[in-house]
Amino acid sequence: MRRHLAAILLATSLLATACGAGDGADGGSAAPGEPDKVTVGVIPILDVAPIYLGVEKGFFAELDIDLELTQAEGGAAIVPAVVSEQYQFGFSNVVSLLLAQSEGLPVKVVSNGNNSTGVDGEDFAGLMVKADSPIRSAKDLEGRTVAANTLQNIVDTSVRASVREAGGDPSKVKFVALPFPEQPAALANGQVDAVFVVEPFQQAVLAEGGRKIASSYVDAADDLTVAVYFTSRQLQAENPDLVRRFTEAMQESLSYADSHPDEARQIIGTYTEIAPEVIEKLTLPKWPSDINRDSLETMADLAVEDGLLKETPDLNALLP
Amino acid sequence: MIKRILLAVTMPVVLLAVWWFASAGSTDFYFPPLRRILETFPETWFGPRMVDDVLPSLARLAIGYAAALCVGIALGMLIGANRTLRAVVEPLLEFLRAVPPPVLVPILMLMAGIGDLMKVLVIVSGCLWPILLNTVEGVRAVDEVLTDTCRSYRIRGRLRVWHLMVRSASPQIVAGARQALSIGIILMVISEMFAASSGIGFTVIQFKDGFRIPQMWSGVLLLGLLGVLLALLFRLVERRVLGWYHGIRAVQKER
Repeated sequence: MRRHLAAILLATSLLATACGAGDGADGGSAAPGEPDKVTVGVIPILDVAPIYLGVEKGFFAELDIDLELTQAEGGAAIVPAVVSEQYQFGFSNVVSLLLAQSEGLPVKVVSNGNNSTGVDGEDFAGLMVKADSPIRSAKDLEGRTVAANTLQNIVDTSVRASVREAGGDPSKVKFVALPFPEQPAALANGQVDAVFVVEPFQQAVLAEGGRKIASSYVDAADDLTVAVYFTSRQLQAENPDLVRRFTEAMQESLSYADSHPDEARQIIGTYTEIAPEVIEKLTLPKWPSDINRDSLETMADLAVEDGLLKETPDLNALLP
Repeated sequence: MIKRILLAVTMPVVLLAVWWFASAGSTDFYFPPLRRILETFPETWFGPRMVDDVLPSLARLAIGYAAALCVGIALGMLIGANRTLRAVVEPLLEFLRAVPPPVLVPILMLMAGIGDLMKVLVIVSGCLWPILLNTVEGVRAVDEVLTDTCRSYRIRGRLRVWHLMVRSASPQIVAGARQALSIGIILMVISEMFAASSGIGFTVIQFKDGFRIPQMWSGVLLLGLLGVLLALLFRLVERRVLGWYHGIRAVQKER
């Protein structure tokens, strides 16, 4: 009996110490010598593999950043959270950020996100049609319906660029908003004439015999910067040191992921539901550490040409 | 009469005034001043969008609602009048009614594609149940004295259906139809959030994705206004259809 009591006492005291230790680690984020607690809003897709890899490799911890990654459905949900400082940083495609800036939202790009592979026919995204479709090139999309995950972002801008490059009139293409996971089925059923899908949905369409008629990200601009990490102007002004450290850790993560594709593939399996045998086959995006500014100028011009933007945006104000 | 109208508009006016003044100095991007929202309203909706988005939305609502009325009342008559049938299908109806229509959207999309048909079916799938179940209840509760009277006078067939069953059940049917109308407006918007390329719901989402927040709010206001207008319209129709019933009620109260 006495032995039991001793055991219980010991267990309780151990528990108490454990709790105590836990409390210490959770302490105030701004305390000197403690890492900054930072929340980043990301979309659970291939493109953000470097930031997951960077957390695993400790690139952020080295620079005193305690990073928490929060998944959101799409970029449109991340921008409000970053602007209201619920998240310190976020991940978004570049066209949405150009739109946000032109409407007066205080956003500031801090790091590159991911780029197209730059190789026509071998990109991580593509404009695809059914095997028996009469559509041969992007020009044939005139008068047809194309599915895009959301409208007014990099997808429809790039698809229009493909149509233009093939000699067609992009204003004659009809877009319908359909989430990526539903696009392969909609294409197979003939509900849409073409889809613009990213990996792993590209593999799903290919598995059903689909044909790729254009690599729109490659058509839009050379080595296009597709997405970037951004913050709010408030945070940029209040804590430039934190922003600088985040950018540094991000650049290290990007170049590590770019030079270690096998590790990138491995980490993709941890935050997505993609089957391991499919992950092996995926075409990965490029992860250069620097933003391709020329490609963003091209994107801005395309957005103006399509009527998405009223005037040429001030890239100096948006980019670091 | 004037007093009633005054009373009815007091609350909305007060709320709008509170909104106007509370938001007047707002610098929050997502909660712009009401003044800006109202400024963008006419240019946003009284242009090509009226034809491209508002009318298609309303047309789909009208078709879906009308279809739900026809199917709901017809099936309700059949089920309500037949005790065996009622016992057999009632648990099934309760189950189907409990399924929220938005979760049916992906299934309807596979069956009916992504065009107008899918969107109308989404509206029907939600509007049908209150009409159907209310009709069943209404028919079941037909006054037995009236039923017997009809039998004694040998009133049968179409006459019996129209003058006995539909008439007696009409207060319940109208109550169901009123409930279905508000469900229909909600589903009209929801159906346009999936795989759409036109409609008020679609346009509101587009404004959100394009960070055009005052325009987005103006869409929300438009939906609210449409709801009020349709409710008023419904009340006009109801007053005609149920004039006899409200008359009886008034007389009974006086007694």
